[in-house]
Parts: sequence; C-alpha cells; structure tokens
Amino acid sequence: MTDIEIIEKAKGILGGKALDVANPAERRIFIKIDPGSLTAAVTALRDQMGLRYLATLSGVDDKEDFELLYHFADDHACLNLRTRVPKTAPRIESISHIIPGAILYERELQDMFGLVVERIPDPRPLVVPDDWPAENYPLRKDWKFDRPEEKIPGGKS
Amino acid sequence: MLNRLVRWSRIKSPWILHLNSGACNACDIEIVAALTPRFDIERLGVLLKATPRHADVIVCTGPVTRQIKDRIIRIYEQVPDPKFVVAVGACAMSGCVYRGAYNVMGGIDQVIPVDAYVPGCPARPDAILDGVVKLLGKL
Repeated sequence: MTDIEIIEKAKGILGGKALDVANPAERRIFIKIDPGSLTAAVTALRDQMGLRYLATLSGVDDKEDFELLYHFADDHACLNLRTRVPKTAPRIESISHIIPGAILYERELQDMFGLVVERIPDPRPLVVPDDWPAENYPLRKDWKFDRPEEKIPGGKS
Repeated sequence: MLNRLVRWSRIKSPWILHLNSGACNACDIEIVAALTPRFDIERLGVLLKATPRHADVIVCTGPVTRQIKDRIIRIYEQVPDPKFVVAVGACAMSGCVYRGAYNVMGGIDQVIPVDAYVPGCPARPDAILDGVVKLLGKL
C-alpha cells in the first residue's frame, strides 16, 4: 500500500472530519481533525482500516494551544491524528474505551499538561511523584521550576 | 582489646546492600559484575545482603528522584549503626545529567550522608571494589 492509497482510504473513511491531510515524509501521514470528532475518527479508523496500534500519544504546548498527536502505526505507515485543544479550555475526550492501551498516555498527559481527559476510567496521577504539589504541570511552557538549594558536603571550596 | 576486636570484625565483614535510587542500570550491572568470582570480592568479606537490616554498607547508584527520597531515608534508618554509604557512578555523586531536573533532588549526598564516592559512568567493577576498600581503610 502506498502513501497515496492510504491517504485516499483514510479520507474516504473520515469524510469531512479530516480537516487537512499532509504527507511530510515517506510513510508518515498527518491528518488534522477537530477535538470533538476524535472518538468517532479513532473508532472509524480502528474498525475500517485496522489501526489498532496506538504507538504513542504526544502533547505539544505551542503557547496558544495544546496540540495532541495520536500516533497510529501499522505495517505500511505511521498515521498521526493531530488535534488542537485551546489552553483556556483544556479538555479532550478519552479514547481508552476504544483503544484500552491509551489510558497510560492519557494519564501522563493529565500529569504533564494539566489537560482534563473526560470519561477516563482511572484518572490517578501516573508519572509525577506522590508529594507533587497540585496545579503544577512540568511540560507547560509557562511553568517555572524553583530549584531547591543544593547542599555541598564539606562546603564550597 | 575489645575495640580492636570490633574494628577487626567490621573491616573483615562489610556486608553490602545494593540500592538503586533511579539509576539507568549501568552502574547496577557493574556492581553485580564486581560481585562475581572474577573479582572474588568475598575474600574481603563482602557479601550482598537482601535487607538493609543485615547490611553495613549501602552501595547507592543513580540520582535521587523525588519519589524515592523518603524511601531512601527510611532504608538508611533501617541499617544498624555503624553504617556507611558508597555513592557509585556520576549520577549518585552529583546527579550528573539529571541534575536540576524538576523530579530529581541531585546526588545521594542531598539526602543521606555519603562516606565514599566512586566516579565513572558507569564505574568499573575494580573502581567500585577500590572505593569499598578505601572506605574500609578509613575505619
């Protein structure tokens, strides 16, 4: 299956949900979608194209919005669903009832960006320490880290 | 007389506890390599122990993550006196590349007192041996 065939097939499945399709490199396909149509798009791609393997879910803070990339991989290509969530209302629908393995990525997304993943079955923190203060999201660009003073045994020389 | 006996027995049987506080496993592999018959570390009386309550020397690897900080202090308090800490590897000494990260406190000495530092990334088994022997020489 060539890239063009995959793009045509995905466009046929997604219809109007695919806002923009890009093919920046060989065997890599970006499809922009609206956050509201995410679950419908993931379900359709899983059932009709066999995209069951969510390689990872990455989040980007580009200062205005959060961009979420759902990296689906199969034998032929890596297909990425990109969606943008505004920072003022950081909410996204969970896809873990469609792809159960997504829950780990979604929990990490909640820890690192403070996104609220709606209908997530298990919203506990995953990667931050137990005593981590609330409302601190390390991967947000506007987050400042106050590094604690280091003890130097024997004093500075 | 009794003091000499105590000192002799301490030097001749330093039982170690291997503690990983967030290392990448390279130093751990080197510690395990140092315990193999090739180096025959048991001729110095060194035995690897599974519990802190049996150990005299804690051999630490890795930077201290924020999550493990309290657990390290708990393990340190479980070790009976006199206790010694050897920091193995660059991360255990200063935090190395992880230093200053939001979830890393720095080297082991930020949390518990350290008696000997073994540099290296990872430290060689003979360097680890040398570190433990130098520590015993201080007693």
